Amino acid sequence: MATREAGKKMIMLKSPDGMEFEVEEAVAMESQTIRKMIEDDCADTAILIPNINSKILSRVIEYCNKHVPTTGATGAAASDTVAPAALAEDLKIWDAEFIKVNRATRFDLIQAASYLNIKGLLDLTSQTTIDTISDNSLEEIRSFLSTKNDYLPEEEQTIRRENQWAFQ
Amino acid sequence: MGQKGRRRQNLARNGVNRRKDSLYQQVGDGDSQNGETLTYSMPYLPEDIWHRIHSLMPMRDAARAACLSRAFLHSWRCHPNLTLDWQTLCSKSKGGGGNFSRKIDSIIRNHSGIGLKRLELDIFDDDRTLPYIDSWLQFAVTPGIEELTLGLYKSAFRPMAELGPLRSLTTLHLCSVRITGDEVGCFLSNSPALEQLKLYDCKEIIFLKIPCMLQRLRCLSVFSCWMLQLIECKAPNLSNIYASGENIKLSLSEALCMKDLCMCFPNVIGYALAELPSIMPTLETLEIGSEDEVVNTPMLPTKFIHLKHLNIQITESDDYFHLASFLDASPSLETLFLDVSKDKEYVDRESVFGGSSLHLRQLPEDRHVRLKLKRVEIIGFSSAKSLVSSHVALSRRQSHLSCLCWTPLMVVIGVVVNISVGPLARLFSRKISVGPLARLFSRKPLERSWL
Repeated sequence: MATREAGKKMIMLKSPDGMEFEVEEAVAMESQTIRKMIEDDCADTAILIPNINSKILSRVIEYCNKHVPTTGATGAAASDTVAPAALAEDLKIWDAEFIKVNRATRFDLIQAASYLNIKGLLDLTSQTTIDTISDNSLEEIRSFLSTKNDYLPEEEQTIRRENQWAFQ
Repeated sequence: MGQKGRRRQNLARNGVNRRKDSLYQQVGDGDSQNGETLTYSMPYLPEDIWHRIHSLMPMRDAARAACLSRAFLHSWRCHPNLTLDWQTLCSKSKGGGGNFSRKIDSIIRNHSGIGLKRLELDIFDDDRTLPYIDSWLQFAVTPGIEELTLGLYKSAFRPMAELGPLRSLTTLHLCSVRITGDEVGCFLSNSPALEQLKLYDCKEIIFLKIPCMLQRLRCLSVFSCWMLQLIECKAPNLSNIYASGENIKLSLSEALCMKDLCMCFPNVIGYALAELPSIMPTLETLEIGSEDEVVNTPMLPTKFIHLKHLNIQITESDDYFHLASFLDASPSLETLFLDVSKDKEYVDRESVFGGSSLHLRQLPEDRHVRLKLKRVEIIGFSSAKSLVSSHVALSRRQSHLSCLCWTPLMVVIGVVVNISVGPLARLFSRKISVGPLARLFSRKPLERSWL
């Protein structure tokens, strides 16, 4: 395992399309999946992250990099100088910018966050998706989610009647 | 197979190559649709992820999403949060909520009963719901429930003996529920994970006994339970109590780590001064509200060593020297909020200038204490005597005061550092030295962010 920068432990993450990312261990451990691998000593060489291409993986690392100081070991130094509320507000603004991506990228990020078990990123991407589809018609939501209506007409009528209150 | 296992399998199934060949490139970087090739019964995210996203939706959105496809319907049948109240179900329907009861019944009966974690049932004052409440609760209150909020409009909640332990229940709110103290106690002893208990307008409770087995209970709120006389709490980690009522006695085990206490009932100030320092040594925030206070200003043998924030609201008292007792007993105090506003109808028209005879009680000289007080807000004084007496109590003690705000009914702005002779004359003098009184806010009440 590579080490660098004044004793900071580094971890190599590999995407299936052959890209390698060297990240601080604390950043990588924002992912509970990777944390478990490291804790179980399964990470002595580079960790292959299946199913997450380099473009998405680099975005995920960017997210973890930004969020690690508030929870990780380096957090103490940061919170000494900045008030926690200001820090949280700054992160919120950063998150809002970070998640301004197209639908495909967002779905890939959701899937990556789910596999890597990064709760903050999963919540952010999920909530953004919910906000996007809220107040849209069923057809618009189906179109956005690429979902097919697989109800029989009479089934759909029944379920629409059952949930009529939600459409009023 | 656990969720993680399934997720991995899904990810493996949607392998990189396949994604590159199909969805990944087709969906591409835009949101434009390519017709039928893009439609699936679920979007290409695995079902468990959609289930998670669906479960985070507000109930109305989640119910609508059930109409998208069978997979979403299945997910809706296991929706973890049900908020069954007038606002959610009827507020937007035309012609009122004639079907309120039927809507609740339909949602509960169509729910699979699996995965329900948060139930909020508020029947408002709709009598038509009454015959069904028992069966709804029987169906919905299952061992997996984590948060239970019941507003039953004076209907009974008789927890069923056969219910068994609710090992996941962390939050219980009962509002206008007919339940006795014994029944609450029995329910609590079956809820070992409880962290928060809120009782509002439950008039059948006379004694509330909280067993010591509730190791995780941190927050207890009791409002408007007018028959309640005694709260006996043995939960060792309780840190916040909010209580109001006619005359509630608190009986708490000694090993309390109480940090935040809010109480409103008659003569609570005297009670707080006499009882609290010894039974709540770690108290940091104290809010008390009282009417008809008959203060017997005791000098306290014990102190609130850790008390940082004090908020006193009092409507009927002509003596504010208990404030001095509090200040004496609270060497760590940083924030003080004192509200002595009377009901407008009873406002004493006497102005600070009109006070004829001031009988200021002087505090003994040797009780001069240096406080850490940083913020003070005082509102509602209408008489000179009260204002000045409280002012004396304060000004003799402040040392680090950086922020002082007075908002009396008759607008008075004044700060003194040292009152010894002619209090009123000096009240408006400009003897403000540089240093501790660095900032002086006069008109705008301070933010009480700690409240």
